[in-house]
This record gives sequence, structure tokens and C-alpha cells, in this order.
Amino acid sequence: MSPLVTHISVIFALVLREARVRHGRARIGYTWAIIEPVLLISILTFLFQLIGTGGRSDFALFFATGVLSFQLFRNTSSYISMSFDQNRPLFNYPMVKPMDAALARLVLDGSTHAVVITLVLCFQIFALGAPPPDNIPLMFLTLFFLLMMAFGAGVSLAVIRRFMPSISNVYMVIMGPAFFVSCVFFSISTVPTLYRSVLVWNPLVHGIEGFRSGYYHGYHDADVDLFYLFTWVVVLNFFGLVGEWLTRFRSV
Amino acid sequence: MADTFSERMIDLNNVSKTYPLRTGRKVILKGATISLPWRNTAILGRNGAGKSTLLRLISGIEKPDTGTTSRHKTISWPIGFRGSFHHELSGIENVRFVARIYRQNTEEVIDKVESFAELGQFFYEPFKTYSSGMGARLAFGLSMAINFEVFLIDEVMAVGDERFQRKSKRAFSDRLPTARVIMVSHSMPALREHCQSGLIVDDGNLIYYEELEGAIEHYRALNA
Repeated sequence: MSPLVTHISVIFALVLREARVRHGRARIGYTWAIIEPVLLISILTFLFQLIGTGGRSDFALFFATGVLSFQLFRNTSSYISMSFDQNRPLFNYPMVKPMDAALARLVLDGSTHAVVITLVLCFQIFALGAPPPDNIPLMFLTLFFLLMMAFGAGVSLAVIRRFMPSISNVYMVIMGPAFFVSCVFFSISTVPTLYRSVLVWNPLVHGIEGFRSGYYHGYHDADVDLFYLFTWVVVLNFFGLVGEWLTRFRSV
Repeated sequence: MADTFSERMIDLNNVSKTYPLRTGRKVILKGATISLPWRNTAILGRNGAGKSTLLRLISGIEKPDTGTTSRHKTISWPIGFRGSFHHELSGIENVRFVARIYRQNTEEVIDKVESFAELGQFFYEPFKTYSSGMGARLAFGLSMAINFEVFLIDEVMAVGDERFQRKSKRAFSDRLPTARVIMVSHSMPALREHCQSGLIVDDGNLIYYEELEGAIEHYRALNA
């Protein structure tokens, strides 16, 4: 049988396997992976609306677009970063390679987030009367970039974990504050120029604001640079893939 | 059993393999070239000589640092105690996964393993609840359910109670017309029972003996 067919059936088997163990085998199974972020986003939206929102009347939608794209990156990258460790017994089968495990998690988490994003946005539109999205291809493109950046970051972290497992703690420490400096609940155009010139170094700003500029008609996106985001995608994936290749079998 | 010297099983061509350790590199093979015929073969060597690594090279899990390996038969994964199973998944889910990656008929494989491994209700419980004997039975039963031409066995034959051992042997002799075994074990009786040829791993070199007794003598000399 051809190597490509083997590859695809391995990834398919891994996706099914990962879906089974994702939530500690909770009885409702994978449904929880959908319910959890939907609940989380609803609660966060409610909280932020209480705190005060800088006068945006459509804050629920604004926040949802931010937190959805932020979580796509954060959850997928940290999930992929554990893929080598958590699947180690399976690398005892000759056709199962670490990169297959990472790809399986990309497929699984990518599709899970696609469902979550669709559900939350549909709820905003049909239940809360939010305006419909303006430029769906642009939204797809930015989400795709964010997802691929998550893959690059996840694989890079998984490679570093081969030598330094504590890198995961460092990553958690970084991703905590990242929530507050990635334009999840504010727009880059409202940030004072001084801070703005610092914030634009954060690639997540471009992913999240890029996603919004696809959703909103005439969104103020002068600072959004999708090519900058794309550069991060290329660099992180290059580092991850080359690093994986160079460190293969180092830590068996 | 038909003489199968003429059929090749696996070729190693100038294969080198080392591992980095904290105190330097551990050499497993240094430029080994060998062509193994399709025969039941014992792998012998002192502890840490690299027998399990050799099995991993043969199976294709690991690539040599330099040199090439070529496989002429379908070869199993190394079947051993150490897990190839996910601890959170039940026996049946683990079996289903392996059946899928080897592109087998899932239900057929499940039926075969269930009747062979005799795990009862544990077949549906997470693997982490298994005793080591149960785990080995599942591993052995699962590998037997797939039609490999070569089974790589890492110290797993002498497992379970006597009844299960008899059953394993019977399952094995049923496979003999179409399957051979490459076996790592420190138990000479087990090796004598299953193997006709021997392969010594010593100091980065491989020495093949057509007759097992020659290999066992060499092994005894190494340990002397």
C-alpha cells in the first residue's frame, strides 16, 4: 500500500483515538469539547460587559470574535505541544511517527474550533441580533494563519520539551498575560500610539484584528498586517519541522 | 518445516547506530552488514548490548545513523511487555486503533483478540487496570490477529499461566507455514523451542549462526 494511504489512515486512527481520550473519558464524550468553550465565552462576555466596555454597544460580538480567535491559537498550540509525550507508547508501531500525532491534533482541534466558532457566531447573529459577517474568505484566511501558527508553535514546543519539559510552564506564563495584550477585548485602533507601536509586534494582534476586519464592514484595520502574521507562521513551522527532524530519536 | 535459507527476511547494509548518553555516545552497531534468511532467529547478547534497539531497527521504528535496512517480508512491531497501549483506552479501543493503522478488518481483529486473550470484562476496561500478564496477553493476542510474515518478540513469550503459554505455542505453530519469529530472550529453553538460528549482538557487531547452538555457545563465552 502506498505511503500516503498509510499516512492518512494513521492520522485518521489517531484523530479517533484522541477524540476518545480528550476529556478524561467524560460520559458525554467529545461534546464537552464543544460545550466548554461556548460556556466559557458566554461567561467571559457577561463578566466583561458588567465591568464596562468603553461604550461599545456591540461588545458581545466584539469580544466573541476576539476570544474565539485567541482560543483557537492558545488551545491548539498547547494541545499540540503535548502530542509527542502523550502518544509515546504509540510510536512503538513503525508507521506511527511523532509528526502524525501532531497532525492528528491539528485536525481534531482545528475542526473542533471551527464548530465552536460557527456556533458562537450563529448564536450572536440569530439570537442577539448581531450583524452578519462581511468578508468570510478573509475570516477564513486569518483563522487558517492562526491555526498554522498554532501548529508551528505547538511542534516547536514539543521539540523543546524533548530536552526541557518545563518549557510548558514558561509557555503558560506567557499565554496568561497574552490574553490582555492581544486585542481580545479592545481594538488596536483605540490604543495610544506609544503602546500601539509595541503591541503590533505581537502576531496574535494581527490574527485577531485581521479576523475582526473580515467580520466587520469597514473595520479600522490600518495597523493590521497579515503578511507579518504569515511570517510568524513560516518561521515557527520551519523551526518546528526542522527541529523535529534534527532531534528525532534523541530522547527515546 | 521447509528450509527457507533461500528466502531473505531482512538485510542490514553497513548499519551504524549510536545513542547519546550523558557520558558520551553509546555504540549499538558499527557498520554491521548482514542478510538474515527467513528463519526463526534468536537474538542474543549481554544486557545493554542493544538487542531491543536492533529489533526497533528491524521493525523500522528507528532509522540507522548511517547505512540502510531493507525488509523483504511484512514485519510486526516489537511485541513486548512495555506498552504499545494507551493507558486511558480500553483493550478493545487499543485493538481497534492498531487494526486501523494496519488497515485490517477492525471487527475481525477484535473478535480474534477477544477470544485469544481471554480478558473477559477487562477487555472493555481501561488498559491501566490490567495486570502485566493481562497486558502481555492482549499484546500477544493482538499481534497474532494480524498476518505478519515475521513476528518480533521481545521477552514476551514466557508470559501468563501454563495454560496461556500452551495456547500461545499452539497459536504460534499454527502460523509457522507463513510466519517466522525473531526473538529476544534470556531464557535458553524458550529460544531452543522457537528458534533454529541465532544472531549475536556484541560490541557493535552482529554475528549470525545458522545453527542456534553455535550462537548459544558464543553467548556463553561472552558471559564467561
